[in-house]
Amino acid sequence: MTNRPETRKQGRSQTIALAAFMLMQAVAAVFFVADATRDLFEKPPGAHSIIEALIAVTLVAGIFLVGWQLRLTLERMYAQERALDTARGDFIRIIDAQFDDWGLTPAEREVGLLALKGLDIAEIARLRGAAQGTVRAQLTRIYAKAGVSGRAQFAAWFVEDLLGDGISRPDDAA
Amino acid sequence: MSRRSTTERGADIAPPDPWDPLVRISHWTIAAAVIINGLLSKPGGTVHIWVGWIAMSVLAIRLGWGLLGPREARFSAFPPDPRAAVSHLLSVIRGKPREYPSHNPAGAMMVYALWAMLAIVIGTGLIMTDAKSPITIAEERVAVEQGDWSALVNTASKDDSSDSLDQSDIVKDVHETAANLMLILALIHVAGVAVESHALRRNLVRPMIKGPPK
Repeated sequence: MTNRPETRKQGRSQTIALAAFMLMQAVAAVFFVADATRDLFEKPPGAHSIIEALIAVTLVAGIFLVGWQLRLTLERMYAQERALDTARGDFIRIIDAQFDDWGLTPAEREVGLLALKGLDIAEIARLRGAAQGTVRAQLTRIYAKAGVSGRAQFAAWFVEDLLGDGISRPDDAA
Repeated sequence: MSRRSTTERGADIAPPDPWDPLVRISHWTIAAAVIINGLLSKPGGTVHIWVGWIAMSVLAIRLGWGLLGPREARFSAFPPDPRAAVSHLLSVIRGKPREYPSHNPAGAMMVYALWAMLAIVIGTGLIMTDAKSPITIAEERVAVEQGDWSALVNTASKDDSSDSLDQSDIVKDVHETAANLMLILALIHVAGVAVESHALRRNLVRPMIKGPPK
């Protein structure tokens, strides 16, 4: 949760830079091609026009290459975000199934989820508009139902699931 | 595959948030060009021609992106479909617009109308300036001011016959009419975005500027 927005931001600024570069190249290419064509009409073609044609072709090819690169980068970003979404959805489904298994009440489920997210008792109480004593009692009931000693073990229960059967890391997919 | 993995805000199917950077930058560049040339710059002036040429480059890139870009930016994601556009407008009036993965059908018609106007304005502008680049024109103007009138020779010989004079008048009229039409369309476009944003209870301008707040 901590470093993800950062990498996404970096990916975004990279694509923005690519797009801006592509548009600048386009402006440059249009002006250059117009100028070179005018030259071609006014002066007899020579070595000069060969170089100009080469530059024009290189500029235009560069635009296509940057465009292609931009599209690939964007598609990779979308794919990563989708994979992350799916993983998140899967994880939540695992938690849901486990909560079902333990027979948690709706209130306990919410408190349990907030506890998994790392919120402390005071924060959970404030979010739910309940007394801290109530939240503490709910947590105790949750731990009892799950058969764990406390919050660390409660969280570890789900992390173990993730670590246990090799869920592929995002790096492997790319 | 996972029903829970819907985005937190907005519908399951929705235009990208944000739009891809090329769409965003080209959108605002063109918007700026239309405002500058439609309302601010001196018609026929060097700035006016510069802005027109930049708009031409950006339009060319955006059209190329419509063939090669990511899915939401491609023409195939928003085909021109007047009937769908009308039914979309009716659904907006009823207050229950549908969500689309790219531009909605009415928005798509507006996109094509604006591009067509832009192409007409740029094309007629090129005819009016004899397709000379702003650099050439600026150079010629400086030369004429310094007393070298040779740049005027070509133009004068062309304008000799009254026939071509009529033609250039027509081109000028088309240029101005299309430009005015484009400004009106742009106003309708802005109004449409405001109405649709209200109907969907979602800010549609933000994805065109930057991504969701994080």
